[in-house]
Amino acid sequence: MLIHDLNLAVRSLRRNPVLSSLMVGAIAVGIAASMIAITLYHARAGHPIPWKEDKLYAVTLDIRDDEPPQSFERHPEYPPFQLTYRDARALYASDIPVHSVMMFRSGQVLTPANKGIKPFTVSTRVTTAHFFSMFDVPFIYGGGWAPTDDDAPGSVVVLSKYMNEKIFGGINSVGREVVLDGRSYRVVGVIAAWMPRPKYYDLNSWGGWEIPEEVFIPFGWGRALKMSPHGNTSCVSRNAKIDGLESLYTQDCVWLQYWVELRGRADRDRYQAFVDNYANEQRRHGRFPRKNNNRVVDVPTWLTMWDVVGDDSRMQLALGLVFFAVCVLNTVGLMLAKFLTAAPISGLRRALGARRIDIIRQHLLEVIVVGLLGGAAGMALTLGGLTSLKVLMFSGRLAHSSNPDRVALVQSFVHMDIPVLFAAIALSLLAGVLAGLYPAWRIGRLAPATFLKTQ
Amino acid sequence: MIEMQAVSKVFRTEVVQTHALRDLTLKVEPGEFVAITGHSGSGKTTFLNVAGLLEELDGGRYTFDGQDVSRLSDNQRSGIRNRKIGFIFQGFNLIPDLNVYHNVEAPLHYRRMPAAERHRRITAALERVGLSTRMKHIPSQLSGGQQQRVAIARAICGDPRVILADEPTGNLDTTMSDQIMNLLLEINAAGTTILMVTHNPELAQKVHRQLHIVDGRIDQIHHFKALQPAPAISSVAV
Repeated sequence: MLIHDLNLAVRSLRRNPVLSSLMVGAIAVGIAASMIAITLYHARAGHPIPWKEDKLYAVTLDIRDDEPPQSFERHPEYPPFQLTYRDARALYASDIPVHSVMMFRSGQVLTPANKGIKPFTVSTRVTTAHFFSMFDVPFIYGGGWAPTDDDAPGSVVVLSKYMNEKIFGGINSVGREVVLDGRSYRVVGVIAAWMPRPKYYDLNSWGGWEIPEEVFIPFGWGRALKMSPHGNTSCVSRNAKIDGLESLYTQDCVWLQYWVELRGRADRDRYQAFVDNYANEQRRHGRFPRKNNNRVVDVPTWLTMWDVVGDDSRMQLALGLVFFAVCVLNTVGLMLAKFLTAAPISGLRRALGARRIDIIRQHLLEVIVVGLLGGAAGMALTLGGLTSLKVLMFSGRLAHSSNPDRVALVQSFVHMDIPVLFAAIALSLLAGVLAGLYPAWRIGRLAPATFLKTQ
Repeated sequence: MIEMQAVSKVFRTEVVQTHALRDLTLKVEPGEFVAITGHSGSGKTTFLNVAGLLEELDGGRYTFDGQDVSRLSDNQRSGIRNRKIGFIFQGFNLIPDLNVYHNVEAPLHYRRMPAAERHRRITAALERVGLSTRMKHIPSQLSGGQQQRVAIARAICGDPRVILADEPTGNLDTTMSDQIMNLLLEINAAGTTILMVTHNPELAQKVHRQLHIVDGRIDQIHHFKALQPAPAISSVAV
């Protein structure tokens, strides 16, 4: 019966090819618009490290003066998203977390051993040792450095995969020397392909839509070499006295990212209490004039707080889905017109013994075929649309990018993955059923005698 | 076979009520060929639609093949239409993009009949109406008479107890009309009860009985020939 109905559905579609094409086209455009929006949203709304959701927490302290919200504060209800060196140091002493990490992004000039390559600037993460284990950074060769190298600081460096390929041709470079800002560092590890999306551990550049750094060195080098932080630096206390980079280590300026790895959610409250107690104690010494508003938040909460997905992505998604709904509504009208045109044949089939449900099923099958054809055409349009977006993106700031990680990051925004593909198939079936349910029901309800004379 | 007692049917709109059938009482015996005549709007087609369970009746009682069908559900009416009633229409009502074979097959699908059995019945029915060589033709490739014969094949292939024909020769010339009428007489002679709406007085006189309907009521009854005893095999041999 299914094959018979399917055969009738195809015949019915061929009976009026213009109307059928219009319906398929309407669904295809709706699917394409929504799938492009879903793809772009999905690329941004993913969880970068779901397996550690109950363990990883960003820590922020509300150290601001007791003043009305400043115009530049996007979310005055939240504390600043970075810590002062003084507070980071104090929290770092806690033994509640399994690991703690304080860090910042900077930049250096790398002078390759190969004289054929000119010195060039690299992005540097200046961090404490547990960065690599805390964020599950994968290594091709070697690993991170020991915590004893943090303050010493040890002349060790970890390279990104791309940097290792660029200066060492991708070989196992552990033990080799790398010269950064004229100082020699020994390579202890090379990171494998690693692209947390978004770069949740530091939201400073491009709102978190940036690639990880190219080299990593121990935290102690930051102060020793007076490395300037590449990111937001805000001296939040009116008492802060700025006098060169050393001030960052002595004054109430926030510039360090701070994360802890706890054993689980049970430890979060304990750690929050510890942080609040620390703030209370500081308040007694004249700091932290506001009421406690310190946050120990997991990654999803962190990303939501700081609008990493962004209202524009959500708006894009909403517009895509609204457009899809409009296309489905148009298809309902076209489908109803088509079904009513063929109502005499349905009346005849009812006279010959078809039940209402037989007529409804046959028509629903027809709209599902339209939905699937529309879905297939919509997928083609989606791929075309995403390819066009890719072309547009690469004609802009990426046109001359030599860093494959950056290219991969941007490509990932317009990459349709398997879950999105399944969403497209489900959406096209849904479109067919939604568009056909009412027309099929209307045709099924018609009295069989109504159209017999007019056929 | 068909027994109606005080059957009424009213069509209602927001401003007007039309009494299409008024207290219509009738009994049709098995194997009888009855012609229904009357002016346009007299209620002939409504009577045929009610008899064929295409319309629900508003009052009275209707017994079909020994079963009270006055208050059946839509599904039950569909089942009886499919198994016990064959329809023939003035406009042939063939499905334009299906070939002759598949047009005849249409009602058998709703009976969930195995493909081999369907094939046997379709070929037999088309053989009977003389169109076994036109199975692959689509309706537009056939003459009016041939199309009506396809419709007759579709009506008889399900081996119905009753055939309801609504002006089956209305769109045909005299020669074609005679051929179709002779075919219907043959089918009736084999035992199938036929109710036929017609405007043609000559055709109406070839059957057992003519009922003349005026304003939804049977106004006159003419008997033209006696009903013969039912043949040994009471169904059409297809």
